Amino acid sequence: MTGKSGASVLLLTFARRGEEQAIRDALAHMRSEIPDADVFAVGTPVSAPLLQEAGVESVIIYGAGRGARAVVRESRSRRPKAAAIIYWEPRLAGHLKLEALALLAGARVTHRFPPGSDARPVGRLGLMSSVASKSAKSLLCAAAGAALCGIAFACLLVSQTLAGGSRARRS
Amino acid sequence: MKATVIIVNHNGRDLLAESVPAALAAARAAGEHDVVVADDASSDDSVAFVQDNFPEAKALALPKGGFGAACNTAVAAAESEAAVILNNDVVVTTDFLPPLLDDLGQPDVFAVGCKFLNPDGTLTDALGNRTSGEWQGGLLHIRHETRPERLTETCPQLYPNGGGMAFWRDKWLELGGFDPLFRPLYWEDVDIGYRAWGRGWRVLFEPRSIVHHDQGSTMARLHRPAHIERMSAKNGILFAWKNLLDGARFRRAVAAQARWAADDVLIGGLPPRTAALWWAFRQLGQACRARARERRERILSDDEILSASAGGSP
Repeated sequence: MTGKSGASVLLLTFARRGEEQAIRDALAHMRSEIPDADVFAVGTPVSAPLLQEAGVESVIIYGAGRGARAVVRESRSRRPKAAAIIYWEPRLAGHLKLEALALLAGARVTHRFPPGSDARPVGRLGLMSSVASKSAKSLLCAAAGAALCGIAFACLLVSQTLAGGSRARRS
Repeated sequence: MKATVIIVNHNGRDLLAESVPAALAAARAAGEHDVVVADDASSDDSVAFVQDNFPEAKALALPKGGFGAACNTAVAAAESEAAVILNNDVVVTTDFLPPLLDDLGQPDVFAVGCKFLNPDGTLTDALGNRTSGEWQGGLLHIRHETRPERLTETCPQLYPNGGGMAFWRDKWLELGGFDPLFRPLYWEDVDIGYRAWGRGWRVLFEPRSIVHHDQGSTMARLHRPAHIERMSAKNGILFAWKNLLDGARFRRAVAAQARWAADDVLIGGLPPRTAALWWAFRQLGQACRARARERRERILSDDEILSASAGGSP
């Protein structure tokens, strides 16, 4: 589904309550950048009405039986000329997911909307490097957590063993 | 049985204006009991306020050490068989003491917790009335009974809420009091209750002993909500590291904790448990020593503790 100009724009946001104005601002910006573009978004059954009320033309539903692969496939099939990401949720996990989706959907340029700031357009290469750095940060966090727990587990077990046998009955 | 009622205070002069006279009235009504205000290095004039206005109460000016340390010092200094700890924002009813002391007379009872009501007399929905717990996803999940009809009889509970609890002083000293592992606060009362059950002692809930608690009035002004959340999460992890001795359960718990960092990254969970994990890790040495001690002293298994504290047989 494309507009008169033949272009479509993918809007990516978690569409949380309170985010309505940020969505409207991003839509206005994208429509001024690509007039007559159809704007579609990815949302859940819960967020879809909010997105449509804000002016998004159609919503690809994620959840309710549709997995990430189907969402990516449908997003790609609409050949978005550009993507817009609203960074409302200030978490690495959220940012990473939205940027990866923009990349996989094939948008040539992505307009990033940080809270309270103007749009910052970035090309595919820039987005790719952002996804790579966030993925590395995520892996590092996960590895650090696992390492902390591994060390803690070993130390606690050793101290328990050195303390000798428990008087507790086995459960 | 003589008891010492200990009100723990930090910068709560205005709260003491209500809680101290209530405690004094209750102590007088129940016989010859002491009332002590254990002041944790207040920078307001709490100590002078107590000395000037309530000469029957003893004011202990303590160096800064947090809630647990103030309790430990005051209990050690008490000259009675039993002690009662109260938060400075807890206002007792005049007849709250006799039911607690009656319950302590039962065999093997270590501690008895009060029934907490909001200042308007309604049942509080967040504080330790008839507590129980369940090991789940790497942490002990605490439950509180909120149905009034289930809070009419004296019954076992996992731990007495530290805001209003009576206990035997000798058993307290044997347990080593509140563990400084949980400084500055939160989970120390859960820990002492769990350890008491682990030694074969009991902890009871006493619905006839009513206290009013303006929940969080002290905490809210001393700490930011995010800080409270982080302290609580850190201490929840340390509690598991120290107390969960059942081998298979412990392995599952640590594996679940190891997944938290990945979950935080991929799902964005709240509170940020990775940070809490790091905070807990910095106290690993202390946790190891505490776990070793638990291993030596414990006579009930983790399952038996939870079963017995929920009213089942150990």
